[in-house]
Amino acid sequence: MQEVELETRSLNFYYGGNVHALKQVNLTVFRKGVTSLIGPSGCGKTTLLRCFNRMHDLYPGNRYEGEILLRGRNILSGGIDVIRLRSNVGMVFQKPTPFPMTIFDNIAYGLRLKGIRKRADLSEKVEKALKNAAIWDEVKDKLNVSAYDLSGGQQQRLVIARALAVEPEILLFDEPTSALDPISTGKIEELVVQLRKDVTIIIVTHNMQQAARISDWTGFMMLGELIEFDKTDKMFTAPTEKLTEDYITGRFG
Amino acid sequence: MSVFDEELMQLKEKVLKMGGMVEEAIKDSVRSLVDRDNEIARLVIERDHQINALDVQIDEDSIRLIALRQPKASDLRFITTAMKITTDIERMGDLGVNIAERALELNEEPLLKPYIDIPRMRELAQGMIRDALDAFVRRDKKLAMDVIMRDDEVDELKHSVLQELAFFMVQDPTTVSRAMKISFVAQYLERFADHATNIAEMVIYLVEGKIIRHMAHPEETP
Repeated sequence: MQEVELETRSLNFYYGGNVHALKQVNLTVFRKGVTSLIGPSGCGKTTLLRCFNRMHDLYPGNRYEGEILLRGRNILSGGIDVIRLRSNVGMVFQKPTPFPMTIFDNIAYGLRLKGIRKRADLSEKVEKALKNAAIWDEVKDKLNVSAYDLSGGQQQRLVIARALAVEPEILLFDEPTSALDPISTGKIEELVVQLRKDVTIIIVTHNMQQAARISDWTGFMMLGELIEFDKTDKMFTAPTEKLTEDYITGRFG
Repeated sequence: MSVFDEELMQLKEKVLKMGGMVEEAIKDSVRSLVDRDNEIARLVIERDHQINALDVQIDEDSIRLIALRQPKASDLRFITTAMKITTDIERMGDLGVNIAERALELNEEPLLKPYIDIPRMRELAQGMIRDALDAFVRRDKKLAMDVIMRDDEVDELKHSVLQELAFFMVQDPTTVSRAMKISFVAQYLERFADHATNIAEMVIYLVEGKIIRHMAHPEETP
């Protein structure tokens, strides 16, 4: 039996206080695996993803109901250090978001926030993160150039390295390859598959083939509800729910 | 209807056409034996290349659909089922040819005995392929299961045919050559029914996503 990393219980979410975006979601995410969330635009998959590091808190009026248990602890309860939560639960966005600074400093940024100051320690951790994100060989000779000089695919891997540097338990990916060409996409997918032995990954994707290729578990969402959740191979060969079947085979509506 | 749905429909129609041709083959080959009609036997043999051509076409169509459409869920099960059952159907066509070949040989010799159980086996086997393909088209699990159950009847008939023929051979060694050939025909018909059973099993997969091949008691699956 696989260990549970994260679990939502009767999770509801309201935007601006009244748009009911997530309805009674009960999702289980297993540790050290890749879980993908699929569904049509507006189904709530990104909203759900953003609950996991409480990104919605950045806007006023948003409201959660229910529980999100991260290793058994409800991250919606009071007394949760949201800053620490976000370094524990990293996020990678659709468009690469490097900071306007050097490659080295992009990675070192989060480490410095964590109180790591010694140059040697920083160098070691930066190298490790870049290696884990499979971009070290491409940037090791230009750590002091601006991150903006990298290609889109490289920037995305840099951002993943930045998230990895602070040793998160979970990495959230929101459409991480939709702005990338197939070669860069392949590298990111390859990376995700490698990373899952160290970190739990949750990925939101519009690309069903991507979900099929890289994830162990797949959840299908529609209109704010989690319609079906199962092993990825089961979901793509013989889903149980008619709605899932219709969506996966492109016969919606 | 989407282009993809249309392509799936065409694939289905080809499978059905091939199935219809095999039904003809089994019917005509046994008729050529019972009616001692060499003309029909030769027709069965000649027509087999059409079945083979369809087999290749269906494989090519399926591979193309998998590559270009990346089918999922029931579409994926449908296409893989089509590919697999055509292999069985193609073999059934070959069995029809084998029966026609034995008919040509047997028709050269005096009738050993009137054919009674062979036509009955043919009728059962033909019904099985027809219903198996019907179940495929209608995604009818119950009908598929029914086909699987009927396989035993064909097996039993084959045993009684073989027993009877063994009796002939023991009584009169001059009947051995003919009795052997007739027992081959019984064997072919029994194999034909086995292929129909395979198809029915694939239909269960198509409907439920569950592979019941090599299960002792498939009828017990929920």
